Amino acid sequence: MIDSAAFVSYLEKNFQFISGVPCTYFKKMLIYLAEHETELQLQHVIATREDEAMGIASGVAFSGKQAVVYMQNSGLGNVGDALTSLAQLYKLPMVLLISYRGLESDRAFPEHDIMGEVNEAVLKAFNIPYWILSEKNWETEMNLAVKEMKNSSSPVALLVKDGVLSE
Amino acid sequence: MKGFKVITAMKDSISEKDIIVSSNGNISREVYHHLPQPQVYLRGSMGLPVAVGLGLALANPNNRVIVVTGDGNFLMGMGSTVTTSFYKPKNLKILILDNKSYFTTGGQQTVSPALNYSKFIDALNCEYNNSKEASEDQIKEDLSRFLNSNTFAILHLVIEASKENLENIPWHPEKISKEFTGKISKSS
Ligand SMILES: Cc1ncc(C[n+]2csc(CCOP(=O)(O)OP(=O)(O)O)c2C)c(N)n1
Repeated sequence: MIDSAAFVSYLEKNFQFISGVPCTYFKKMLIYLAEHETELQLQHVIATREDEAMGIASGVAFSGKQAVVYMQNSGLGNVGDALTSLAQLYKLPMVLLISYRGLESDRAFPEHDIMGEVNEAVLKAFNIPYWILSEKNWETEMNLAVKEMKNSSSPVALLVKDGVLSE
Repeated sequence: MKGFKVITAMKDSISEKDIIVSSNGNISREVYHHLPQPQVYLRGSMGLPVAVGLGLALANPNNRVIVVTGDGNFLMGMGSTVTTSFYKPKNLKILILDNKSYFTTGGQQTVSPALNYSKFIDALNCEYNNSKEASEDQIKEDLSRFLNSNTFAILHLVIEASKENLENIPWHPEKISKEFTGKISKSS
């Protein structure tokens, strides 16, 4: 598992806001975030839906600042229009942190099977560049994603598998 | 009272530092043509104007952010109004122009009449809220009280379903972003 303090500290250096809807895969990171909210230079905005979180991140990006949007890959099914008619269309940079549910460890959770199967194809169909976050090289992967986000001034995604940001 | 007349009546109260977010369709067109430019004219992302306004308000605490949204957009993203009410940014004002229809797509009716706006926005516990029918002789006063309130504020106005013949917004969204970001970097 990536150390929550190190990961949040990375986010704090590169983003001013974080918003989203939780997934168990983010549990440890979100606990850390909640416990350190007051001392962090990273404002957390709780959202009711993933497209709403992308709307908030868009308002942030219109202001020349940056936000991370976290979501379960189920939420990827909720954000199509927020991507194509807002964030991508208006060239608003943001990082989407998406949990990669529906793989081997999720066999007891058939609700994730189908999105798990098409997850990467969906990102490709939307032309969203993405990286799979690894425990070993996460900083490199984050750097690549942030660089691409800035270069293209558009959303990019990181897929988070089981055990990477929570036990 | 017609929606574009409400928008036109805002003109005197808007300063250069203010940020307006307008919902897609007719309302963005009217805001583009009648109020100082540039602003955040949403051309799509139906349901998200309140969320975008929240992001802008949090990122620009020294600017007033005014969301102008149709009832169709408001209802589609209703959760985001609960979110904004959780954070209650003082600089955020939400103006709902309720023509009880999806006017832009041909005037089909919305489910807006089912909602008692007065009770709903009151239940959000924002210090300033008001729900009424827009009227020509009171609009300036209503807008002024709403826009100058020193708190997170919601104003719901019932308007006549109507439109002017305005040409489409000539700016591509990339231009909207560019113009707007330029304004913000100067004024915040
Ligand atoms: C997700 C989505 N669904 C449908 C549409 C088509 N559409 C464009 S404007 C509009 C009506 C918006 O209604 P409202 O916010 O009440 O504004 P009005 O048109 O009445 O001014 C609709 C349905 C769309 N742009 N996006």
